[in-house]
Amino acid sequence: MVGKNCVAIASDKRLGMQAMTISTEFPKVFPATERTYYGLAGLATDVQTMSELLRFKVNMYKMREERTIQPKTFAHMLSSTLYERRFGPYFTEPVVAGLDDKNRPFICAMDLIGCINFAKDFVVCGTASPNLYGMCESLWEPDLEPEDLFETISQALISAVDRDALSGWGAVVHVITPERVVTRTLKTRQAVCLC
Amino acid sequence: MFLTRSEYDRGVNTFSPEGRLFQVEYAIEAIKLGSTAIGVTTKDGVLLAVEKRIPSPLMEPESIEKILEIDSHLGCAMSGLTADSRIIIEHARVASLNHRFIYDEPLKVESVTQSVCDLALRFGESGNGEERIMSRPFGVALLIAGVDEKGPQLFHADPSGTFVQYEAKAIGSGSEGAQTELQENYRKDMTLAEGETLALSVLKQVMEEKLNKTNVEMASVTAAYGFHVYPADQLQSVIERL
Amino acid sequence: MEYATQHRATEQAIQHRFDPYADNGGTILAIAGEDFCVVAGDTRQSEGYSINSRYAPKVFKMKNNVVLANSGFHADGVTLTKRLNQRIEWYRHAHEKDMSAPAFAQMLATTLYGRRFFPYYSFCIVGRGMVYGYDPVGSYERYQCRAAGSAQNLVQPFLDSQITLNGQKDAQPTPLSLADVLCIVKDAFTSATERDIYTGDYIELHIITREGVETQLHPLKKD
Repeated sequence: MVGKNCVAIASDKRLGMQAMTISTEFPKVFPATERTYYGLAGLATDVQTMSELLRFKVNMYKMREERTIQPKTFAHMLSSTLYERRFGPYFTEPVVAGLDDKNRPFICAMDLIGCINFAKDFVVCGTASPNLYGMCESLWEPDLEPEDLFETISQALISAVDRDALSGWGAVVHVITPERVVTRTLKTRQAVCLC
Repeated sequence: MFLTRSEYDRGVNTFSPEGRLFQVEYAIEAIKLGSTAIGVTTKDGVLLAVEKRIPSPLMEPESIEKILEIDSHLGCAMSGLTADSRIIIEHARVASLNHRFIYDEPLKVESVTQSVCDLALRFGESGNGEERIMSRPFGVALLIAGVDEKGPQLFHADPSGTFVQYEAKAIGSGSEGAQTELQENYRKDMTLAEGETLALSVLKQVMEEKLNKTNVEMASVTAAYGFHVYPADQLQSVIERL
Repeated sequence: MEYATQHRATEQAIQHRFDPYADNGGTILAIAGEDFCVVAGDTRQSEGYSINSRYAPKVFKMKNNVVLANSGFHADGVTLTKRLNQRIEWYRHAHEKDMSAPAFAQMLATTLYGRRFFPYYSFCIVGRGMVYGYDPVGSYERYQCRAAGSAQNLVQPFLDSQITLNGQKDAQPTPLSLADVLCIVKDAFTSATERDIYTGDYIELHIITREGVETQLHPLKKD
């Protein structure tokens, strides 16, 4: 989610196989660089493999180019990594959020084969995405300050996740500003209810 | 009079030239042979009291039941051929429960009476699609007591399918005397206890036997407790007040 | 081999299908306030990628001032509404009173369950003082706010956050005014219209108060 000179990225913490909850402390958002974070929703093994692969690629980029990768570049790298597996894809849907070298916010989302969706306001993915679209479309407004952005993204995520049986068990929110990255964990309903 | 009647009193579905249905009128007569039943409406609830005839000392008085529950807020006392009431009560209970099932609310006293009276005329040959239940009219009259959003109410239903609301009503063999008594002593603002006394004292006057706790049956329907049949000790304490 | 295939092809039975349902999309919602109730729906009626009508109401005021909103198969919703209105009228004749909202709610449930094996494909929401939500075969529950239809997933979490103040630990739940609720309803539909192709054109909303039912029509995006 984009704010005024800041971006925020958030995810829930549940890992499940269909209705069964495997873990309630499963991180889905990873730092690519100090000011670029990405989230991966989908098959857990691919989430972990992808995150390790991306860590390798980001480090290689840094060593070869002797500069930190920009969020937009990172997004394209991620996209081509996914498209390499066009016919045997990683089952993950990533979102990327970061600030570029001029502190301009950048966000994007893509599908599992790397088709990028650049947006100026917000992007969502995962099992609760319709819920998140409804929330973000109603709550988001332009030029939010970091603290307001935090509140907006948190409320959007909490309400969306509470109406999705496959998401929940708390959430992690990162707000990326030019000065620092503030990471907070949220408590949501600590139960998944299937009736 | 009786000559013409003999021509037209066979079929249940034939009017006499004077425009009467004799079988229905005879059914009403049958009730006048039955034991007396009294209903009294008070501001707190409705009371029903009936006389139990015990022709043999070997009979178990508890086995005679002339006041029955239709629903938790509806009760019914009867006089006449009480066996006929089984069909009626069954019908009323089904109507009341069905209303709860469909509308999640108790059935009104008037509505249950109406539904009973709809049944009362389903004798004779079956109409189009309607199932015929009986070959003759019912030989029983009912006092239907209940509490709903309009408060405590008492209805009288007879074999002709007519129903009328009463503040106090007596049916059965002693009904004429009892009704006069009720008219003289009934007041609109009576409490439930005063109603109990009135019902039993009227019953006492019209009964041939001496009234005691085994040869009468009494029940109340109140907003607070719903339908309630008086157990022997409670009945005894009311009798002692007389 | 070829012969066998041909042979099989000629012997293949012709299959006929009977598909009596369609999904006409659209979104409905209802919110219960302190002394009022708002039931709203968009008026777009679609089938697949086509729009059948930009003004086809799916929220109806019943004869006993209950407001019934249907989403799903429009024809079933209309038929259901007609039957229920008939039942309300019969009830009034039999019992000399208007059917109360809880009585109507229970009756709707039994009516829907009566078609357990050939259901009315209609997701209903009922409002008058209280709000009830249903599935097509009649299981129902009372809610403070409820959304249904094609943008249910988008709208329901929003109502949770704005009406029941879900997830706002320090928020004091103050009674919502009618003006607040109308704003929330309009916001919900505007947002749903942005992301759901089956929602749009107009909001038709019914405001139920002690005085009666007022109906309003507001435009939405038509793309």
